[in-house]
Amino acid sequence: MGGVLPPAERHSSALMGLYATLSLLLLIMGDHIPVGALRGIGAWMFSPFDRVVLTADRIAAAWRENSLLHLQITRLELENERLHVAGLENESLRHMLQLPPWRGMPLKPAEVLALGGESLPSSATLSAGTRQGVKEGDVVVTESGLLGRVGEVWPTLSRAVLLTDANSAVACEVESTSVLGVLRFMTLPHPHLELTGVPLSDTLRVGQRVITSGMSRHYPRGIMVGSIHRIGRDSGGLTQTIEVAPAAMLSRLRHVFVMTPPTLPEDKP
Amino acid sequence: MRAWIVLLSFAGVVLLLRSTALTSLAARGVVVDVLAFATVVWALRHGASWGASFGFALGLAADLDAAHWLGRHALALALIGYAIGRLSRTLVRDSVRTQFVLVLIATVLHQTWSVAFEIGAVEGWSYLAQRVLLAALVTPPLGVLLLVILRHGTGQPLFGHVAVDARPAP
Repeated sequence: MGGVLPPAERHSSALMGLYATLSLLLLIMGDHIPVGALRGIGAWMFSPFDRVVLTADRIAAAWRENSLLHLQITRLELENERLHVAGLENESLRHMLQLPPWRGMPLKPAEVLALGGESLPSSATLSAGTRQGVKEGDVVVTESGLLGRVGEVWPTLSRAVLLTDANSAVACEVESTSVLGVLRFMTLPHPHLELTGVPLSDTLRVGQRVITSGMSRHYPRGIMVGSIHRIGRDSGGLTQTIEVAPAAMLSRLRHVFVMTPPTLPEDKP
Repeated sequence: MRAWIVLLSFAGVVLLLRSTALTSLAARGVVVDVLAFATVVWALRHGASWGASFGFALGLAADLDAAHWLGRHALALALIGYAIGRLSRTLVRDSVRTQFVLVLIATVLHQTWSVAFEIGAVEGWSYLAQRVLLAALVTPPLGVLLLVILRHGTGQPLFGHVAVDARPAP
C-alpha cells in the first residue's frame, strides 16, 4: 500500500489541519449547502447493497410474521364486516347531514432500504420514487401509524423524514377529547416525542390515543400517531408535558406506505 | 489502485452496516460505534495521514446521511484517525489490550462529541452518559473479537509489528 500512498506521513499534520478546517467550515455553513443531490447519488449507489444485506433479516422476519398475519387477517375480516355495515350507515347519515363523502387515500407500498440517525432513526431511504408516484411532502405510514413525511424524492428512491427528526412537527389531537397540540421530537432529558402546547386545564390520561388533527396541511386527519405514555407539568407552569409513545415501531421498519394528502383548494395553481 | 479499492470497499461496508443492522440495534439500545472502530483499524494499519483521510471521508459520508450538522462526524473521526495513526508507530498494534483501549477511547470521544450535538444542552448529560456507556460497553469487545477472528482467519498479524524507528514523522 505504501507504494501507492503519497508520502503523507510527512505531511500528516498539514493534512489534519486541512481536514479540521474543512470540517469546521462545514459545521458552520453546512446547513446552507444543498446536499440533496449528493444524498440521492449515495442512496442510489447503496440501494442494491442495502437490499442484499437486508435479505436475511427479511426472510427471518417474514417467517415469524406469517403466522401472526394469518391471525390478524382473520380478525380484520371480521372487523371489516362490522365496519362495512357501519360505513353504509355513516354514508347515509353524512348524506342526510349534507356532509361531503369521505374519501380514502391510495397507499403506495415501499420498502425501507436504509435508516439514518444516531440513537433513533430520523430518516429512512425508501424504495419508491417519482416513477412510483411519490412526491415530496407525501405522508409515510406503517400499518401501526404515522412515520413521517417524504423529504426528498429521486427517480426510484426517496428519503422520508421521520417523526424523530429534530425539525419535525405534527399537528395532533388526543382522540375523543379534541385536545390539540403539536407533536415534536425532544432530546432532553432523553429522546422522546412530546405533545406540546397543551394547557394545564385540559384533562388527559395515560394510554389515550394521539392522532393527527388535520390542522396542518401536511397530514390528513385521523392517522394514528401514538399513545400518551407520561404526563407532566411544564417548567413554566402553563402547559403540560405529554410524552407520546409512537405507534410505529421505529426499530423494526421494513415496509411502509406512502400516501398523498388531499390537496386543499387554495393549494391548487 | 488496489489501495483505493480496499479503502472504498471498507468504507462502503461500514456505511452499509451502519445504515441497516446497526441503526435498528441502536434503536433497541445496543450502540455499536462502527465508525470509530473502522477509523481505529484503518489508522492503526496505515498511519496518521491515511487514518485522518479515512476518518474524514467516512465521517463526511455519515454526515451526508444525517439531516443536520454537516462536518460533525468528519471532524471527530479525522482527529481520531490522525491521533491513533501517530500513536500507532509506538504501540504493539496486534496486542488485544492495545486494540481494546484504543477502540474504547475512540468510541467514548466520538460518541460524546456526536451525541452532544443531538442533545444541545447540559441538561441531557445523563442521556449522553448512558449512550456513551452503552457504546463503550459494546463496541470495544465486539471490535476486538472481530479482529481476533480475522487474525486467526488470515493466520498472520493484521497490523504488523511495531516499527524499529519509533520516532514520529517529521
